[in-house]
Amino acid sequence: MRILVLNCGSSSVKYQFINTDTGSALAKGTVQRIAMAGASITHKPTGKDTVVIESELLDHTAAIDLVVKTLSHSDHGVISSMDEIDAVGHRIAHGGETFTDSALVTPSMMTVLHDCIELAPLHMPAMIRGIKACQRVLSDQPHVSVFDTSFHHTLPAQAYVYPLPYIFYDEYRIRRYGFHGTSHKYVAQRAALLTGKPFDQSRIITCHLGNGASITAIKDGQSIDTSMGFTPLEGLMMGTRSGDVDPAIILYIMDKEELSRREGNSLMNKHSGLAGVSGISADMRDVVEAMESGNERAKLAFDIYCYRLTKYIGSYAAALGGLDILVFTAGVGENSPQARTRVCSTLGFLGVELDESLNQKTRAVEAEISSAAATVPTCVIPTNEELVIAQETERVVNSEQPQTAVR
Amino acid sequence: MPNPAIVIVGAGAMGQGLAEAIATQGSELYLLDQSTDKAELGKQRIAESIDREIRRWGLTKSDKKAILARIHPTAEYEVLKEADTVFESIPENLDAKRRMLAEVEPYCRPDALIVSTTGTLSITRIARYTLRPERLVGMHFLNPVSQIPLAEVVRGRETSDSAFKRAVAFARSLDKQWIEVNEYPGYVTTRIIVPMINEAMHVLMEGVASAEDIDKAMKLGFGFHVGPLALADMMGLDVVNHWMNNLLAELADHKYNPAPILRRKVLAGELGVKTGRGFFDYDERGNRQLVTIQDTDLEREVVA
Repeated sequence: MRILVLNCGSSSVKYQFINTDTGSALAKGTVQRIAMAGASITHKPTGKDTVVIESELLDHTAAIDLVVKTLSHSDHGVISSMDEIDAVGHRIAHGGETFTDSALVTPSMMTVLHDCIELAPLHMPAMIRGIKACQRVLSDQPHVSVFDTSFHHTLPAQAYVYPLPYIFYDEYRIRRYGFHGTSHKYVAQRAALLTGKPFDQSRIITCHLGNGASITAIKDGQSIDTSMGFTPLEGLMMGTRSGDVDPAIILYIMDKEELSRREGNSLMNKHSGLAGVSGISADMRDVVEAMESGNERAKLAFDIYCYRLTKYIGSYAAALGGLDILVFTAGVGENSPQARTRVCSTLGFLGVELDESLNQKTRAVEAEISSAAATVPTCVIPTNEELVIAQETERVVNSEQPQTAVR
Repeated sequence: MPNPAIVIVGAGAMGQGLAEAIATQGSELYLLDQSTDKAELGKQRIAESIDREIRRWGLTKSDKKAILARIHPTAEYEVLKEADTVFESIPENLDAKRRMLAEVEPYCRPDALIVSTTGTLSITRIARYTLRPERLVGMHFLNPVSQIPLAEVVRGRETSDSAFKRAVAFARSLDKQWIEVNEYPGYVTTRIIVPMINEAMHVLMEGVASAEDIDKAMKLGFGFHVGPLALADMMGLDVVNHWMNNLLAELADHKYNPAPILRRKVLAGELGVKTGRGFFDYDERGNRQLVTIQDTDLEREVVA
């Protein structure tokens, strides 16, 4: 089956066109600066040269229209018409408690997704816009939502219920949902294959360190704990998000600076993390560069980031009762040997030890980077959420009737 | 590529606030005024407003770029041709609105929704200046528009149900809660808040409590974000006075008589934040100066 996989941001659309029979991408690309000056599409057909096309793009519909036109273009396209797209898979940040599995897009699903906006306000509006736009452009194809939350539906109650009055769980479904599920699942499976351990009989910790960052404890193939919670704000320090803080702090600041709820929210989601501490950038590469040229605050940001991650790995190893594989993935996890070195430097007691030369040269490729003395393998696995989304989409399309109500 | 489907006519305070709110929500729009200079100035003020929001942690620099890129200042009526929604937010003067609508309407699509953001003038009366009064609807926003999550959606006598529904859908798309208002002076918000402010002035004038303490009591007692006298200073005392007179004239009830202290301050040119002095003192950037005890005492002597 040939599946278009979409990941819609507020001003960007990432896409891959994947043949699930071979597991390979026929083309991939990114549309950037939607609804802004200088909008463009960067399109990489597999085996051909990358093309960059500038085009004025007013909204997501125009962007997706351009994606489809580019895919079926006579020169750099990979199909002859849009009919050759069999289905569309959408990466969706939040499925609430309703969606414990990937599912066909239906009107009732759209209603639930709207209800999920307040659970992931940074991501859901663009993703919903993306689905609507894509349904307009590809109206004959089935559309499937694959949720960042659904891998974590196996969390036990002790991990997902917060120590607040229980009524809030009953009343508002306030609980840990967890995110990046597709990525955690994929990299854990790949790492198990790479190290020759059985996925469904191993204790694995996966660190997804992108702009948003989360860590998951996987026992016998199931997610048993994860650091993102009710929203993607909890847990690790991230590019612009604070992660765990004493919740009284935000109330205190909001009171001192007379901030509205919206401003308080934006303070923690957009002005904190690496960017907030370093004052330089939300991007780890910039922070490391500044640190190496002597910037104290960049160093502090790096220190906090790694220290907090190390603590989480320790606590998840305790939750799992031991550790069989440690995995790093996404932007920082795949490309920052400095962060990996620092994070692992005090994990010797668990049996984690890196081979520094392997670590240094491993960037964005699948590799085991542990030393010969390590008893627990550490792996770098480039995440491939798109492939998982394509596979999930195929599974749903093959198994479900379009009329099936999802709720 | 389609052009922005939203045109805001009038790049003054309300037009700016509305443009900022719409662009923040992700839509492109034209900000139309009599000259490109005026329209550009409006956009510049929006940039300043966004800067304030960045200092308050509400937006980021990249948000600013994205929002400003969606606002297209212009003086060309031609842009109205493809608009499905046209906002009228020029100054609150019936004759000016009449002239503007006469110039603008010939460019508008027959199915375009026309929204007046007036807070003081009659929607029914404004609608009479148009060829299709049924498609004119009122939407009253409070400043700062991008912050205050309320829209009063106002039916004039001839507003059609479909026009009303489109206005409600628009309010929703801006993430605003909305209320339905049948046209009547002051709608709900102004009608209730202005007499309350007036009453606070009476309490001050009668020496019951100091301005600071009146505001403190209402903030802490009823959870108001701003006290009534500070709110009057922000709205402009001339505006509050105008409103009281307007309600008095329209509703013919003596309870809408402007408090003498209000009349006196307006006569003295003490209009609140914009002149640096109202019930409290302000610096050039509009920040409140600390009130000393003497000022408060003086206030009492003056009004005694």
